[in-house]
Amino acid sequence: MSYITKQIAAAFMASAIGLASVPVQAQTPPDTLIQAWQIDDVISLDPAEVFEFTASEVLGNSYQPLVGYDVKDVSDIFGVIAESWEVSEDGKTFTFTIKPGLQFASGNPITAADPVFSLQRAVKLDKSPAFILTQFGLNAENVDQMVRQTGDMTMELEMDKAYAPTLLLYCLTATVGFVVDKELVMSHEADGDFGYEWLKTNYAGSGAFTIRDWRANEVIVLERNENFSGDASPMARAIYRHIPEGSTQRLLLEKGDIDIARNLGAEEIIALADNADIKIEDGIKGSIYYMGLNQKNENLMKPEVREAMKYLVDYATIADTIMKGKVKVHQAFLPEGFLGALNDNPYALNVEKAKELLAAADLPDGFTVTMDTRNTPEITAMAEAIQQTMADAGIKMELIPGDGQQTLTKYRARNHDIYIGRWGPDYQDPHTNADTFARNPDNGDDAASKPLAWRNAWDIPEMTKQADAAVLEKDAKARADMYIALQQEHQKVSPFVIMFQEIEVLGIRKDVNGFIIGPSFNDNSFRQVTKSE
Amino acid sequence: MSAGVSRRDWLLSEQPASRRQAKLGQAYRTWVQLRRNKLAMVGLGIVLVLVLAAIFADVIAPYDPLSGGDLRTARLLPPSWAHLMGTDDQARDIFSRIVHGSRLTLMVVAMVAVIATPIGLAVGTTAGYFGGWVDTVLMRITDIFLAFPRLILALAFVAALGPGIENAIIAIAITSWPPYARLARAETLTIRNADYIDAIRLQGAGSGRIIWGHVVPLCMSSVIVRVTLDMAGIILTAAGLGFLGLGAQPPQPEWGAMIASGRRFIIDFWWVATMPGIAIFVVSLGFNLLGDGLRDVLDPKAAQ
Repeated sequence: MSYITKQIAAAFMASAIGLASVPVQAQTPPDTLIQAWQIDDVISLDPAEVFEFTASEVLGNSYQPLVGYDVKDVSDIFGVIAESWEVSEDGKTFTFTIKPGLQFASGNPITAADPVFSLQRAVKLDKSPAFILTQFGLNAENVDQMVRQTGDMTMELEMDKAYAPTLLLYCLTATVGFVVDKELVMSHEADGDFGYEWLKTNYAGSGAFTIRDWRANEVIVLERNENFSGDASPMARAIYRHIPEGSTQRLLLEKGDIDIARNLGAEEIIALADNADIKIEDGIKGSIYYMGLNQKNENLMKPEVREAMKYLVDYATIADTIMKGKVKVHQAFLPEGFLGALNDNPYALNVEKAKELLAAADLPDGFTVTMDTRNTPEITAMAEAIQQTMADAGIKMELIPGDGQQTLTKYRARNHDIYIGRWGPDYQDPHTNADTFARNPDNGDDAASKPLAWRNAWDIPEMTKQADAAVLEKDAKARADMYIALQQEHQKVSPFVIMFQEIEVLGIRKDVNGFIIGPSFNDNSFRQVTKSE
Repeated sequence: MSAGVSRRDWLLSEQPASRRQAKLGQAYRTWVQLRRNKLAMVGLGIVLVLVLAAIFADVIAPYDPLSGGDLRTARLLPPSWAHLMGTDDQARDIFSRIVHGSRLTLMVVAMVAVIATPIGLAVGTTAGYFGGWVDTVLMRITDIFLAFPRLILALAFVAALGPGIENAIIAIAITSWPPYARLARAETLTIRNADYIDAIRLQGAGSGRIIWGHVVPLCMSSVIVRVTLDMAGIILTAAGLGFLGLGAQPPQPEWGAMIASGRRFIIDFWWVATMPGIAIFVVSLGFNLLGDGLRDVLDPKAAQ
């Protein structure tokens, strides 16, 4: 073959390859759901330890709790692993009966021993989310007596006080209450750690999916659980890819390399809204954005200044521009969707009113203050917008940016002036937020419990009593009224400028249906996702 | 100097009557040589524009660089006559921010030059002059600094000191002196045994006096060339730190930080990240061109 013919042949080959590759469009496999999400917050897959957004969602799809609630109406509580439950006369003891015939992904049958073990294990390991259970008076010493197996399929849970029954039930729906496979976990126990080291990266549940693989900052792979008690998921696999940048997620979504993009920014949402291949779905989340004003600061401790600050945030504009589609204005500590949520938004930007209040506080020319700002794009953008409106009333606000670790450490040590942040409820009961925003049993520097009210050095013995009373109220209506009254007072006087409630937004390929966005992160479910072709 | 002799002739005189005339004459010759290099003049022009922009930022910038306009109407506007480079996500005028950002850039460059050059010169000339164990100790320390990539070392320092423009300057200065020390040492080694150094020593001059008065001036020209060539690197390092959130902090209009915040919008609003990028590119190029030109005229070896 002469040199020239070789060249022509090579050119032919090249163009053939080029032509062949053109019509091949990137597409995800029909039985696999691929999501792009920033998953670098995952530190463990153990239900006793998981307290992160991403891992909560993974566990929500792979484990089952004793009881669950309807994501559309959270007041509808039903049994998942439990068939039924009863509350004793004195309101302190719950008796659960386990559904017969259930089994774990491993094939082991589910008996009362498993939930009892799971709760005892979570309390004894005492990781970050353990307080959700220990607030009922459980601790490592007494948990073996308080949570007990009474028969093959029955168990009892005893509390130190007669709390509102829904409080316990909602707490059991949190990831820390998820039921693990006792036999499997204990077979991997080492040095009396209840299988903690093993379960960090492994799976022992009974949910619709099993966790096959987690590679940090890379991927989480879930596979259909063939032993699942409910309807089998249409998807054989669900994969989370770690893609931190919203713009990258958008490009992948447009190309069809992923099915769902999870971290889209406001601009990406607007741009994708015109794309016929993609639909935008959203759901309201429990997280709220707020500013905490440290009462150790001599200016911020003045009630007029606290109120003035609430008039110096341009809530509507931020929600319509920088955070468009990602937040709604919300100014009370209970997010919409919770029992007793207060949906009044009495504050709007009013510089004149704020100036009057500042003059009344002997600060007519304003003052200088710092705000610790986590360096994520959204928090920074909000902080910069607030900085501008504050300046209109003479308040010179300096932003001190830092990563999440730096700003949180300073906040927890009460060394900040103002902290801007996001708060996510730990479980679906109103007490979760009342406990942190409106309770401060001990304002001393060495207090045992350090809720948000403590972090901002807000000493509120009266309000603490009101919040404590609301936890014990059994009647749901009366309880809701107590929380509404509490929030109305809180809204006026508190050192918290509560601004927005989060909306979770997903960009989804149009052939993907059935993703459920629930109020808390472990409610997000892809169990029923289908792909139409 | 007689009245009939023009200033140019006076400067170019082969028989200067005073030290001052000789020095000025030397400077003038250098300038004439530099002026012949077109690219160097372009570089000088860019640097002058940067300096002027920094000095007159308040006059030049049409808007406030820190507080923006109406979020509802003035956000992410494309470049137009009202906003030459468009506006960013906080409705701030990008042109005004870039003009004010030139102050930060110039400050970083100037401070690093002021801090790093004397350190490098002092270490290098001392090591070269004394030799022996002084040389070994100082040069091994220099080697340690040179063993790390510069940006990585600067990152480590800023992470330890905490983010902020001052700490970024310190970190960059700490990481940029070793090449100057190396250079100064090499120069010193070639002159420390020269006859005129011996002559000074015989007259009773101490080591400090010899280094400061007779060695340092001879190392200056090559160090100046090196510093000018490094300026671009310093700007890029500062911008890199800003981009990573470790340099200047918001709302300061630091160019690297501006790119970082504009990155989110790059697909639909290209100008937010592109404009500061162009600014960094042009200024770095300007310093490089100027440095190249200076090397041609100041470095006697290259001249031949």
